Amino acid sequence: MRGHRRPVRVSGKRVLASVGLVGLLLGSAACGGGDGDDNGPAQEGTVEDVSEQGDPVEGGEITVGLEAETNSWLPGEGSFSNSGTTVAYAIYDPLIKRTAEGDFRPYLAESMEPNADLTVWTLKLRPNVQFHDGTPLNAQALKTIFDEYLTAPTSNVKNTLADVTALNVVDDLTVEYVLAQTNAAFPSVLTGSPGWPFSPTAAAAAGEDAGANPVGTGPFQFVSWQRDSAFVVEKNDNYWQEGLPHLDGITFRPIPDEDTRVSSLQSGDIDAMQTLRQSTVQRARDLDGVDNYEYLGNNAGGSIINSSIAPFDDLRVRQALAYAIDQPALIDVIGGTGLTPAATQYFSPDSPFYSEKAAEAFPTYDMEQAQELYDDYINDPQRSDGEPVGTDLAFTYRCPPDPTLNELSQLYQNFWSQLGMDVSLETVEQAAHVQNGISKDYEVQCWRVGDEQDPYVTLKNAFTEGPLNFTGYTSPEIADGLETLRTTTDLAERQEAVAQISLDISENVPNLFTGYTLTDIAVRDVVKNVDGWTFPDGTEGDGVPGAQAMWGFVWTTE
Amino acid sequence: MYVLRRLPSLLATLFAVSLLTFLMTSLLPGDPALQILGAENATPEAIAEVRAELGLDDPLPVRYLAWIGDALTGDFGRSYRTSEPVAEAIIDRLPVTAEVGILAIIIALLVAIPVGMLSAYRAGTRTDKIISSTSFGLLAVPNFMVAIFLILIFSVTLGILPATGWVNFTDDPVQNLRSALLPALSLAIAEMAVYTRLLRTDMIATLQQDFVTMARVKGVSNRRILFRHALRPSSFSLMTVAGVQVGAIIGGSVVIETLFALPGVGRLLLDSVVQRDLLMVQGVALVIAVSYVVVNFTVDILYSYLDPRISHGRSAARV
Repeated sequence: MRGHRRPVRVSGKRVLASVGLVGLLLGSAACGGGDGDDNGPAQEGTVEDVSEQGDPVEGGEITVGLEAETNSWLPGEGSFSNSGTTVAYAIYDPLIKRTAEGDFRPYLAESMEPNADLTVWTLKLRPNVQFHDGTPLNAQALKTIFDEYLTAPTSNVKNTLADVTALNVVDDLTVEYVLAQTNAAFPSVLTGSPGWPFSPTAAAAAGEDAGANPVGTGPFQFVSWQRDSAFVVEKNDNYWQEGLPHLDGITFRPIPDEDTRVSSLQSGDIDAMQTLRQSTVQRARDLDGVDNYEYLGNNAGGSIINSSIAPFDDLRVRQALAYAIDQPALIDVIGGTGLTPAATQYFSPDSPFYSEKAAEAFPTYDMEQAQELYDDYINDPQRSDGEPVGTDLAFTYRCPPDPTLNELSQLYQNFWSQLGMDVSLETVEQAAHVQNGISKDYEVQCWRVGDEQDPYVTLKNAFTEGPLNFTGYTSPEIADGLETLRTTTDLAERQEAVAQISLDISENVPNLFTGYTLTDIAVRDVVKNVDGWTFPDGTEGDGVPGAQAMWGFVWTTE
Repeated sequence: MYVLRRLPSLLATLFAVSLLTFLMTSLLPGDPALQILGAENATPEAIAEVRAELGLDDPLPVRYLAWIGDALTGDFGRSYRTSEPVAEAIIDRLPVTAEVGILAIIIALLVAIPVGMLSAYRAGTRTDKIISSTSFGLLAVPNFMVAIFLILIFSVTLGILPATGWVNFTDDPVQNLRSALLPALSLAIAEMAVYTRLLRTDMIATLQQDFVTMARVKGVSNRRILFRHALRPSSFSLMTVAGVQVGAIIGGSVVIETLFALPGVGRLLLDSVVQRDLLMVQGVALVIAVSYVVVNFTVDILYSYLDPRISHGRSAARV
C-alpha cells in the first residue's frame, strides 16, 4: 500500500511551470525559483482553496467534465489537447514526466540516460509491465509503435520526432533513440503522446478503429466510448504500481459550454471539471463545497505581429503598438483580474526560466512613448512601407469569433486608434486563423503563446525558420541562446540562455501579451488528491499543469 | 399521382442540395490537412503529403462526382479527423437529434393546440391578451437563454433533471427521457409560441365560417365545435410552419446539443465545421437537407389529405 503525503493540498504559487531539463535523470539539483507565499491572501496566481485530504479511500466512481472531445485516442492520430491529455493519463502512462521542481524523470520508464554528446538516449523499461490486453511492454513494442504508427506519413507527431533517425532495440527492455544532432531537450518529447506506449497488438487488431479502442498500461482500462457523450474507464486490476488506482472507474464527459459545465458541477451531475477560462476559474472559486486545483502555467494570451512585412518590420511600429496597450485593462476583459499577472515573456513568474530583466524590458503602458515612436516612424522619409511622410498606418487586426475576443479586439483598436492608426477588425474562424498564422497572411492577430515544454522546444519553434515561427522574427541572439539550450543540461546555463532570448524578445516585441492562463480542475470536495501524484520513487510530481490530472492517484470519500 | 408529380422536383432539389453542400464546404477557408497534422507538424511537405493522400488536390468536379457517387451507395467516406465512417457517425447520432426534435414538436403542439384554441375562442378577452403577449415574449427569447434558465431552475436549484449528458434509450428509458426533457423544452418554447399564434389566427377565421354558425344553431357543444369542426380546417398554416420549423429545430439543435452536451447531429456538424472535417460536414449537411426536404414533402402530401382540392390541382377550388 502506498503511503500518501500531504494531508492538506497547497496549490499556492507552486514552483512548477516550465520544464527544466536540468539534471535530467542525471541526479542534478532542483531548479527552484518559486516565489510562492502559500499563506498569503488570494490575489494573482493560484490560491489555497482545497479542503482536508485525509487518507486514501478505495473504490467509488467519479464523473469528470471536460472542455472538449478528442478525435482519437491513438498517439500519432489523436490531437491531445488539455482535455485529451487528462483522459490519456487514465489509459496511458507517460515514459517520462516532470517533477514539481521542473526536472524530467522516468515515470513508466525505469531510466533514461544520454551519451556524452546527447545524440543517443538510452531508455530502459520496467520489467513485468503489461498492456491492458496482456501484451508485454518491452523494447520491441516500443519499436513497433515508433516505426508503424508514430512516424507513419499521416502521423501528427512525425515532425515532433523528426530528429530521431532510428529507434534501436538494445535488449528486451532497452531501446536507444538515435538523434540526428545533439538535443538536450529530447526527453521532454516523451512526456507527450510520442511517449505514451500503447499495445501494438491491440492497435493492429483494431486497424482503422484503433483510435476508438485504446489499450495502454495506465491505471484504468477502456470500457466504452460514445463520442461527445461519455468515455468510460474501469480500474486496471493488474496495474504495475501497487496500491493504485484508488477509484473503481471514471466517466469522462465532454461538456463544451463553460456555463453548463459549471452548472453540472453545482447540480452534482459531475464530480470534477476542468477549465482554462479565467472567468470560470473565478466562478468556481466562489462555489460552496468545491475544491479548486489551480495551476499558473506558461501559456499566455496576446497578439502576434507579422514582423516580416512593412510597416511591422520596423521596431518603432512594434514598440508603439506595445507601449499603447494597457495590459490590466485587457486582462480585465478576459476575466483575469485578480487571477493572472500581466505576461511579459514566454515563461510565467512561477517558472524557473522566468527573467526579471526581460520583464522589466518589456514595454509597459506609456502613450507618450508610443506616440513618439509612432510619429517618428510615419514622419520618416525612409519609412519601410514606402507611404508618403505623415500618412497614418492602416492595418487589420484579426481574431476568431468569440464574444470575449471581440471585446478584446475592440480594446486594442481603441488603444491604437488613439495614436492615429486606422485599425480594422476582422473575425476569422479558428481553422483559417491558424492557417493565416502559419502562412503569415496577417498583419496583427490575437494568438496564444507559451507552453510547458522544454524552453528549447518552445522557443525553437517560435523563433527559427519554420511553420511555427508565426511572427517571422529571428535574431542572432536568439539563435545563440537556442544553441546553448540544445547542447547543455546545466540549469544555470540554460536559464541564462532563456533570459537572453526573453530579453531580445522584450526589446524587439514580436509578441504582445495579456496575461498568463490560470487553469483549474474544480472538484466536489469529496474528490481528493487531484494534484498529489508522485513518481514511483516518491518524488513529487508537477501537479495539474493545464488542468491535466493523474487520475490513478485520485480518490473519493463518497 | 400527386406524389409522382412532385417526385421530379424533389429529386432536383436533392441534387441541388448535394451540389451546394459540396461546394460550400469545399470553399471554406482553412486546410483540412492542417487540422489533421496540427500546427506543430504542419510542414509544407507534410501538408502536401496529407492532401495528396486525401485527394484534396483533385479538381472540384472530380471530387464531387467521386463523393456523390459513393454517397448514393451509402458510402460517405471516413472522417478526416476521427477515421470513423461518416455514415456510421451520423447513424449513431441521428436518434439523439431526432428524439429531442420530435419531443420538442410534441411538447410544442401539446401546449400550442389547446392554448391557441382557447386564445381564439376567447379572442379579444383578457385571457387572449395574456396568451398573446406571453407568446410574443417567448418568441423574443433565444433558445440558448431559455436553456440556461431551465438548467438553473430544474438542475441547479431543484436538482430534479440533469443539466447535461445523455443516456441512451436502450440503456435506461427513464433516464433517457430525463436527459432529453430540458433540451426538448428549450427548443419547444419558441415553437409553441409560433404554433399558438398561428392556430389562434386561423381558428378565429374558421370560427366565423357559416358551418360553425350552423353547428352552434344546432346546439353542438363548444368543445365539439372546436375540436371536431374547427381544428382540422384551422391546421393548414400550423402544419406548413411545423414542416418549415423542422429546419429551425435542426438549426437550434446545433446550439442546444452543445449547451446540454448531447451527442447529436447538430454538435457533430458544429465540431466538424470548426475542425474542417469536410467529408463529415458534407455528409451531415446532406442528411439534414434531405431530412428537411422529405419532411416538407410529407407535409405537402398531408395537405392533400387534409384538403383534397390540393391533390386535384385545386380544380375544385376554381369551380
